Amino acid sequence: MFKELDPLLHSQLRLAIMSLLISLAQADFVFLKEKTNSTSGNLSVQLDKLSEAGYIKIEKGYKGKKPRTTCQITPLGRKAFENYLEALKTYF
Amino acid sequence: MEEKKLTQQESLELISKMIKETHTNIEKGGGNIFLLWGYLWLVVALVVYTAILQTGDYRAQWLWFAMPIIGYPSMYFMLKRQEKMAVTFVSKTISKIWIVMGTCALLLSLFMLINPAAFPILFVMALIINAGVALSGLVLEYKIISVVGFIGILLSFALLMIPGINKILVFAIFPIIMLIIPGHILNSARNV
Repeated sequence: MFKELDPLLHSQLRLAIMSLLISLAQADFVFLKEKTNSTSGNLSVQLDKLSEAGYIKIEKGYKGKKPRTTCQITPLGRKAFENYLEALKTYF
Repeated sequence: MEEKKLTQQESLELISKMIKETHTNIEKGGGNIFLLWGYLWLVVALVVYTAILQTGDYRAQWLWFAMPIIGYPSMYFMLKRQEKMAVTFVSKTISKIWIVMGTCALLLSLFMLINPAAFPILFVMALIINAGVALSGLVLEYKIISVVGFIGILLSFALLMIPGINKILVFAIFPIIMLIIPGHILNSARNV
């Protein structure tokens, strides 16, 4: 019996972001952009979607005079990612 | 990366690829902190040893305070300058280990102002720093660093057996093995 995959995670960029954040204590916007090879605009939209769902926490601040956005996965996001993996296993 | 729906197979591959990306992201600066404290320790120890040897005046021991006075601000600026784009759980754990070790070392050296004969300071300092090196090596799963840390813990006890100012000379050898060599190893591993 196939389990339904979380539609919020079952998209390329959002899944890539969550896969990076699951192994890190925190990552900044530039790091995520480089690793996912995405555009700033697209990345920003997808981060907002994940943040609205409570899967990640976004903090905006400054490093010196430069603006800096850092992201980290929340316990809810970690649980959602684990559930996604469990659901994914049912397809194999 | 486009915003597109994935097949189940593609999902698995993507997760695996992204997790690997975080493993190859060794942070910059880990070795530099070892080198900062290592060289500082070596230089200050040699200066104190030479000063006592030349003058016979044990007040030269006050020069030890050059370590926290130079070391802590330098470390603060070094860490501030680092571009940390991602923080791994390993680096976070290592930072916390050194915050605890650094606090203990600072408080112990400050206590020497109240009672200089309270405990054998060189032995205690060597033990604390070597414990920090061994713990860092274990957390990093870096065999050479854990091994030198444990050797350092063992050698620290030699400081209880060596009499007079020769103790300071032995104390000056510690940073070469425990901090300077691992620091260079860490930096060269990072550059591979």
